[in-house]
Amino acid sequence: MNGLLNVSSSPHVRSRLTTGSVMFDVVLALMPTTLFGVWFFGLHAFLVIATAVLTSVMTEFIFDYIAHRPNSLTDGSAVVTGLLLGLVLPPSVPLYVPYLGALFAILFVKCAFGGLGQNFMNPALAGRCFLLLSFGTVMTNYAVDGVSSATPLAQMGNGSVVSVTDLFLGFNSGVIGLSGAALLVGGIFLLINGTITWHIPVSYIGSFVVCMILGGGHGFDPMFLIAHICGGGVLMGALFMATDPVTSPMTGRGMAIYGVLVGFLTAIFRIYGNAPDSVSYAIILGNLCVPLIDLISIPKPFGVGDNQKKPKPKIPKAAATLAIITLIAGVALAVVNFVTAPIIEQQKLAANAASYVEVMPGADSVGYDSAVTAAVEASAEAYGKSTINEAVVGYDASGAPVGYAVSVTNGEGFDGNIVFSVGFDTEGTITGLQFTEINETAGMGMRADEPEWKAQFAGIPAETITLNDQIDQVSGATFTSKAVTNGVNAAIDFYNNNLK
Amino acid sequence: MRTKTFRGGVHPSGMKELSQGKPIQFYEPKGDLVFPLSQHIGKPAVPVVKKNDPVLTGQIIAKADGFISANIISSCSGKVKAIEPRMTTAGVVAQCIVIQNDGKFDTVPGFGVPNDDWASMTNDEIIQKIMDAGVIGLGGAGFPTHVKMRPRNPEEIDYIIANGAECEPYITCDERLMIEHSDWIVAGIKVVQKLFPHAKGIIAIEDNKPEAIKAMQAAISGESNMEIMPLHTKFPQGGERNLVHAVTNRKMESRDLPANLGCIVDNVATLTAIYHAVCCNEPLVSKGFTVTGDAVAEPANFMVRIGTDISELLEAAGGLKTQPKKVIIGGPMMGMAITSLNRPIAKSYNALVCMTEDPVEKAFEQMTNCIRCGRCVRVCPVGLVPQQMAVAGQRKDYAKYEKIHGLDCIACGSCTFICPAKRPLTQLFQLTKKEIMAQKAAAAAKK
Repeated sequence: MNGLLNVSSSPHVRSRLTTGSVMFDVVLALMPTTLFGVWFFGLHAFLVIATAVLTSVMTEFIFDYIAHRPNSLTDGSAVVTGLLLGLVLPPSVPLYVPYLGALFAILFVKCAFGGLGQNFMNPALAGRCFLLLSFGTVMTNYAVDGVSSATPLAQMGNGSVVSVTDLFLGFNSGVIGLSGAALLVGGIFLLINGTITWHIPVSYIGSFVVCMILGGGHGFDPMFLIAHICGGGVLMGALFMATDPVTSPMTGRGMAIYGVLVGFLTAIFRIYGNAPDSVSYAIILGNLCVPLIDLISIPKPFGVGDNQKKPKPKIPKAAATLAIITLIAGVALAVVNFVTAPIIEQQKLAANAASYVEVMPGADSVGYDSAVTAAVEASAEAYGKSTINEAVVGYDASGAPVGYAVSVTNGEGFDGNIVFSVGFDTEGTITGLQFTEINETAGMGMRADEPEWKAQFAGIPAETITLNDQIDQVSGATFTSKAVTNGVNAAIDFYNNNLK
Repeated sequence: MRTKTFRGGVHPSGMKELSQGKPIQFYEPKGDLVFPLSQHIGKPAVPVVKKNDPVLTGQIIAKADGFISANIISSCSGKVKAIEPRMTTAGVVAQCIVIQNDGKFDTVPGFGVPNDDWASMTNDEIIQKIMDAGVIGLGGAGFPTHVKMRPRNPEEIDYIIANGAECEPYITCDERLMIEHSDWIVAGIKVVQKLFPHAKGIIAIEDNKPEAIKAMQAAISGESNMEIMPLHTKFPQGGERNLVHAVTNRKMESRDLPANLGCIVDNVATLTAIYHAVCCNEPLVSKGFTVTGDAVAEPANFMVRIGTDISELLEAAGGLKTQPKKVIIGGPMMGMAITSLNRPIAKSYNALVCMTEDPVEKAFEQMTNCIRCGRCVRVCPVGLVPQQMAVAGQRKDYAKYEKIHGLDCIACGSCTFICPAKRPLTQLFQLTKKEIMAQKAAAAAKK
């Protein structure tokens, strides 16, 4: 024998698995979904996916080059990220969307944190959330070839009936990777070859279903539940996104905790949220909890404690601490609410009363007039998105009526309801405008509350107002301006019909 | 056929077909024999011969020192050539006794004379015989057998488990032993049953050795208190804790001895040595050994004299047909790579594997960051989380490493085998364990 022998620590054999082969299995498992999406939505869907994949791969390649890191393309993880991102985009998005999404996912979520295996949230989902926040309109436009239709969940929200079979097979509007059947085929493949385990899909869908039964408003309605599982990406999330190994816990127990958490969050977001996505946000929040879950789910080694007498089952310290904190916070919130609710109510009344006096310059006091109050009650629903809350008569120091104040709520604000009072004199002129409740975007919608803008209304005759004619809109806050103008017009109508 | 097993484990390719069908050959060495003084767990033995002393086969040349130690027996006749530090197979320089082999293999008086009335011996006499014969665990660990035979609770021992799992790939010497000399093993179990009369003998064999199962079944046909238990073929099925769990459903903690759970676990080769020591007056001078691998011309199973030079035995197997890239003593999962073939075979070694390819070399090129896939967690037979241990180990966060039970690692290599990212996990764990132990020893010395 000549030549030197290799020496290394045991074991001296290795399985055939490599990171590349694991990633290839995921790509393979996504193929049915991809092919269905491309066949169903056409060429543009293919271009979206291709853009996402190519951008991912190129971004990683260029980053590795610039950062003097070893080229990591062979591990195939960039392809998986690109493919997953492409599949969760609407089929007709302009191509800059997958480009920017993939760029963000790879550069900021993956490479910036150390590349493969180091990202703290699923890059594809982070990319999708980035796009949802940045390009809300195109990301929620599921029109194909100019023909738009509501997504199944939107249809269900409107009370329409959806075909569960079509939903399961994927004959619907939605993201490219929407076929439940194809996703299931891929998921089962991954389960069989051991790339994923049953823990996350089962605990995720299980907890989601339980939460939907309890809080979905339909009770145990199989059709409703199946539609919710097949629609809106729950299957994609449970089989491919939440199971992303890098951002999910290591142990079976950890995975189960994580699955339950993500399922719960998905259901909560779906029932109470008004964001256009629930699954992505739920999984990303779940990702953030993974280091903690890993910490509390370290199993006991084999045999430890099995031969001693069983001590009383102890609740894990972390869980107990969490439960106590939650309990204290909940009680504190309830107490604060209980104590402050009447105060807040009084303050609201006081604010209303103060605003009435402010919008009627000559008034010293305000009072109710039974005829006016009756008219307010009769006017319910008469003004579309605006509601007349209250109308009062203003009296001067001698007790003579000097005008009226009308409190209006308009629901067309950018962030919910805007409540304000409009004052009129007895001759048919607007005397003032004051907000009592406004929560618009700071620096934009909130600028409606500046005195200069409000002052525009004073002195205008009580006839229907047109925005940008008598009133300049708040720049950058079209929604707010319109909402206020519409509310004022409702008040003018009410004034003309009942008070003049 | 019911097959029992444990949770976790991996399925490396068996490679046993290379030597599975080769009957055991008795090989008589021609060159010098080398006996390191520490072939067992515990204190090294103390030489009782001097340079140039004549020795006979079966003669004690070094005596056990302390409670956990074992005698060293000369396996040939000749004279003591040297007592000097030499590089051993384990890669450390240690004191060795070198015997110049005269090729006659003259034995000490009484050697090999059947001891037909061993059943009338007292337990202490039997254990003394085992101790004198230098018997240690031949499965690999090398724990002195006479110590194992004196548990604190002899009355509570209800299982004697003959470990014939042989779960390491490549190795077939135990399998051949069970096929060809099943009577030796059964006799060995009987000796141990004499010590623990309430115990049932269980012969545990992985189900990839149907011939061995058949042979053992035939051998115990007349025995009422013995049973064959086929086990699922999975590595590390032969690990003590996994084996005890599979056979009895009892779970050993890392600090437990099998005896705490009422079990005595002995490798089939150890039971053979017990039989020879007690019933044949034949101390441990030879043992089963497989020479195999794709670089070996004619893979074979041997009964080889302890102390034989590896290169000499390799020649007996036809020598090398190609240049090996890696040579391993033991199996490829837990064995050690050696740097030279001119090393002696010690008591607890059971195979030489010569591989023309080194999978570790290729794995090193394929290594990526950990992708947290969780396979290491799924295969760990001890129920650890190797990924978290690796993070703690790399950061040298020893407190965390201990907290997540890293010291329970048995270095079976399953996690490293399965890892798609090809991380050198077992190596890191061994290193971390050593560093923690060194720190603890230093702290204890300070006090």
